[in-house]
Amino acid sequence: MRIEQVDFVSVPTRDVSRAVAWYHQALGLPVSEVAPGEVETPNVTLSFWNPERDGEPFQANAAGIALRVPDVAGAVEEARAAGAEVFGIEDTGVCRMGFVKDPDGNVLILHRRYAPRG
Amino acid sequence: MSAEAGALDVERVDFISVPVTDMERSARFYGETLGLPEIEHPEQGFPEYQLGENVSLYLLKVESIGRSFEGPHTASLALRVRDVAAAQKELEEKGVVFDFGAEPFDTGVCHMALFRDPDGNQLMLHRRYAPRD
Repeated sequence: MRIEQVDFVSVPTRDVSRAVAWYHQALGLPVSEVAPGEVETPNVTLSFWNPERDGEPFQANAAGIALRVPDVAGAVEEARAAGAEVFGIEDTGVCRMGFVKDPDGNVLILHRRYAPRG
Repeated sequence: MSAEAGALDVERVDFISVPVTDMERSARFYGETLGLPEIEHPEQGFPEYQLGENVSLYLLKVESIGRSFEGPHTASLALRVRDVAAAQKELEEKGVVFDFGAEPFDTGVCHMALFRDPDGNQLMLHRRYAPRD
């Protein structure tokens, strides 16, 4: 078995259209032209899913999707202005990470590695 | 500090992380059972695996960043394989239990088979067979 690529990452939400609008407006990600309830990043599709519509409990993702941004500190402020909850900003020694939550409480990591790969 | 325009322009997804409670057990699952190549970077404590050609996966022991395990990811990561049924069979032979029985689910445009990692994080074998319009 060989995994060729990640086709999509599901993101749980209580309101798919609200989530699509937020990821589009706050993060600037284009709305998918081929499937409803999805936005595109340059390398991975994010697919929103409302578990309560399928009779399953909603639970936000607590470990995040890391989004590469040019400027972590600036991105955190932009995200905060767009209504994201900011709960941490860290410098790991090789990268900067801003921890934010989307309107459903899913963790997103605004991320920029500055150290070269060993 | 005012944010500079464009600070939040997303260039790509750098990695996806999943919460784990037992790093050795999870490393065996992702590295050996799924056979994912590990990305070497000795300066960091968390294993990172290449998930096919487009993105990587970090195993995150949440206690190590001062938080507690709040439960697994319940929304799937869709892993593209050539043949979902064959891949499911291969993983079942290694002891992986799938959510909906022996046959992959056929949505009419794709095959999918749902399974979980040792902490219950939801994963999916996926192959779209219908052409995009």
